Amino acid sequence: MSFALWPEYSVVLGVFATMFAIMLPKGRGIAAYWVTLATLAAAFMATWTDWTSGRLPILLYAHGVSIDAFSLVINGLVILAAAGALLIGWNDRRYGADFPVLVLLALLGMMVLGLANNFLVLFVGIELLSLPLYIMAASRGTHQSGEAGLKYLLLGAFSSGILLFGLALLYGASGTLTFTQLAPAHMVLPLAGAGLALTVVGLVFKLGIVPFHMWIPDVYEGSPLPVTTYMAFGTKVGAAAILMRFLFFGFALATGWWGPALGYLAVLTMVVGNLLALAQKDMKRLLAYSGIANAGYLLVGIASHNMVGARALLFYLLVYGLAVLAVFAIIAFVAGDRESIQLDDLKGLAARSPWLAAFLAIAMLSLAGIPLTGGFVGKFYLIQAALQASQPGLAIGLVVGAMVGLAAYIRPLQRAFQKADGDAGPASAVRWPVAGAVVLVVAVVGTIGLGVYPSPIVHIVNHSAAFYWLH
Amino acid sequence: MFLVWLLAVPLAGALAALIAPARGAKMIAAITSVLALIGYAGLLFINRAGVNWGWIPEWGIRFHLSGDGLGLFLLGLSAVLFVAAIFASDKEQGRAYYFWVLVLEFSVMGLFAAVDLFLFYIFWEVLLVPVFFLLTGWSGQRGKKAAMKWLIMNLVGSFFMLVGVVALAVIHNQNGGGLTFEISKLAGMPMAGGVASWIFFAFLVAFAIKAPLWPLHGWMPDAYGESPAPVTALISGVLSKAGIFGMLRIMIPIFTPQFQQYQTWLLIVASIGLVYGALMALRQKDMKMVTAYGSMSHMAMMALGVFSLTQVGLLGTTFYMVAHGLMVGALFLVLGMLEHRTGTRAIDGMAGLNRSAPRLAAYFLFFVLGALGLPGLPGFAGEYMIIQGLITGHVVFAVIAGMILIVAAWYMLRIFQAVMQGPTGSTGIKDLFTGQVVWLVPLAGLVILLGVWPAGITAHAVPSLFHVMHFAIGKGGVQ
Repeated sequence: MSFALWPEYSVVLGVFATMFAIMLPKGRGIAAYWVTLATLAAAFMATWTDWTSGRLPILLYAHGVSIDAFSLVINGLVILAAAGALLIGWNDRRYGADFPVLVLLALLGMMVLGLANNFLVLFVGIELLSLPLYIMAASRGTHQSGEAGLKYLLLGAFSSGILLFGLALLYGASGTLTFTQLAPAHMVLPLAGAGLALTVVGLVFKLGIVPFHMWIPDVYEGSPLPVTTYMAFGTKVGAAAILMRFLFFGFALATGWWGPALGYLAVLTMVVGNLLALAQKDMKRLLAYSGIANAGYLLVGIASHNMVGARALLFYLLVYGLAVLAVFAIIAFVAGDRESIQLDDLKGLAARSPWLAAFLAIAMLSLAGIPLTGGFVGKFYLIQAALQASQPGLAIGLVVGAMVGLAAYIRPLQRAFQKADGDAGPASAVRWPVAGAVVLVVAVVGTIGLGVYPSPIVHIVNHSAAFYWLH
Repeated sequence: MFLVWLLAVPLAGALAALIAPARGAKMIAAITSVLALIGYAGLLFINRAGVNWGWIPEWGIRFHLSGDGLGLFLLGLSAVLFVAAIFASDKEQGRAYYFWVLVLEFSVMGLFAAVDLFLFYIFWEVLLVPVFFLLTGWSGQRGKKAAMKWLIMNLVGSFFMLVGVVALAVIHNQNGGGLTFEISKLAGMPMAGGVASWIFFAFLVAFAIKAPLWPLHGWMPDAYGESPAPVTALISGVLSKAGIFGMLRIMIPIFTPQFQQYQTWLLIVASIGLVYGALMALRQKDMKMVTAYGSMSHMAMMALGVFSLTQVGLLGTTFYMVAHGLMVGALFLVLGMLEHRTGTRAIDGMAGLNRSAPRLAAYFLFFVLGALGLPGLPGFAGEYMIIQGLITGHVVFAVIAGMILIVAAWYMLRIFQAVMQGPTGSTGIKDLFTGQVVWLVPLAGLVILLGVWPAGITAHAVPSLFHVMHFAIGKGGVQ
């Protein structure tokens, strides 16, 4: 038992504590939420202790897990995602009493993905992340939610199968399970190539890269709002983290095998995702396609296969996550009892709730990549990575995607800020639930803060992704 | 420190206007813009020191502002025009309107003062947002469409420019100089010809869209036609200058070899824009659109000054930017007052208004004469210098520019004649009242001052321009 694993241990303990809290006879429900929140705080504290301990990196279980600055930053990101999802769905009984437990279990999966350095740990992480999300997607119990859960389960199981097959082939080709011991030069080639391809496909499926993105809009639309938030932020962090570590640690010496392919996928994803986002009328579907496009941006960081790319990826995960949290919190406020809103429901938002409209503008402009928001700095960082890697095509694909994306993000804003039609009459102001408001304010302040003064976070990600074998 | 004042005051005022009671928003905005003007006076007369603070040290980005001769008078133009535009705005526009106008002032001030490429880009893109919201929320029927066009077209240019910005810094890094976005350090940097050309066009397109230069002016008719008069005045008076200013500030120091390589083509395209704008202005039936296309033609004139690559041409452009901004901004404001009084912008709908509103007619005539380049008024001085710059090496384009001056007189006088002269219409209009004269008189005074004393600007601009062209001159590029 290593003390460096305390972030994960505390989540495991928190899972049990939350279960007991659910079983409490009196004050049922709300106690579980508080216990979960305390667990998240404890996990964050443990992560922070590891960060400041100065003993990194720590390799455990025959190099199966690697606790390093990278995994700790991933910990921080997924804890933020879990906290956001939990607070947006705070004490909402529609999603079942076990919602907080499932949030914690999926969180554990994401954290494991952050530190996995071995095929088995990778697979355990993927499953630990996915299984609770299948349940959560269906937790609303409505027809739509059940459909989303089933779809997610079937396609997720399919992709897990592909992933497992790929991992098995790689093991057969190399004779090792550990990323850092993979030696591409000594592998049996057709076996290794097929294994790598299938593994990458399995992972980018989770990330939602075109052409493996078909499940995302339906699942996002059908799932309850907090779960969609969690999937949009947390799952992407986990999948991007493991994809990066797998390729950068295992195949850094054979970038020709995967770099160009991922580059093309990235460009395709950014353009297609944003184009499809343009056509959406439902906010959740719009965010789903935006999530696809943003996964493409993340892939730019990986396809650049240099250190700047790794750093840009981590930075972009944070700014993307903050914007997503803000937008979903606003959707939750405006939706009230419903599970999603149409774009037209935003009409006149500026007149009803000016602050909410302003926050929506900030979050949307961050997704679009306008300066003084974090989204701009994130895109700037990614372009820097692509150009440092001498891949101007990636940079151009990124800005083309961003242009199309801008048109998509502007449409809800125009509805929110246009002059009232007159016949609608003054609708009442939107109610702000306290827990959701905390998420919203933190996310918006963070977005602006990262846009105006990104230096501290840049410092952290630079420290976090400092792999000496990359340049 | 006065530069920081110029940025901080509008930003603080914007926030204050947002939380103030709706009735007080205009008052707050007016006070803010006057305070900014006072800050500018301090910058001009007391202390022109810039600021250079570290911002994102990991990427070599610095918060570096400078009030040198290139931007100094454009800062002044912005300070003046924002005061006028805010005074000319309706009180009923509400808090958000003044918030966005002041945010626009903030970003414009930053743009004209920034000498760090990253900082310049930040302001360059931020200024799109307030204009977008002003067009969305406070304009005519097709305002939404105009706003969309404005944002999409400008961002298409800007995003490619962003790749260019990063590429310059990365090339500087790969040359061994480290990551930096300081324009003076990027100037004269060795680059592979092909790469340099791509980056050159990335910047050029972004700047040409903002100006707008033909054939990238697609957003202009809707945005000018639909926006309220003060916003039109700001777009044409201040924002359009940002495009030309970017060419002077960034492209001349860094891309002089590329300018020389493509000079003939650039001159041809700018001349087409010059003629196209003038001809379009001639056939418009809407007095605002006449001015809009006329302004577009004048922007092409400024571009010709830049593309001439001569010191006098660049100097003419620097001067003409300020002069044109003052005159066309004021002209749009006057047109706005006319529209407000008559309820129409169609030239055919009005006649003989100078009987009932002689003072308004006088100001109208004054700014029309300025815009058409009457000697004695500053438009003439600017156009003269630009043509002088062209004539040494490119006589054909000088001749075209000279011819267009005649057409300019034609279309500008055409609207004045149609609107103000002729038989009196059935109903008169109210003349100017004191509150409006208050800001028209200083504008007219400034125009006269620049007309008789262009050296007030050019004397300051020459050293900065010389600095800008230092590398170019070293290569024998600029005559």
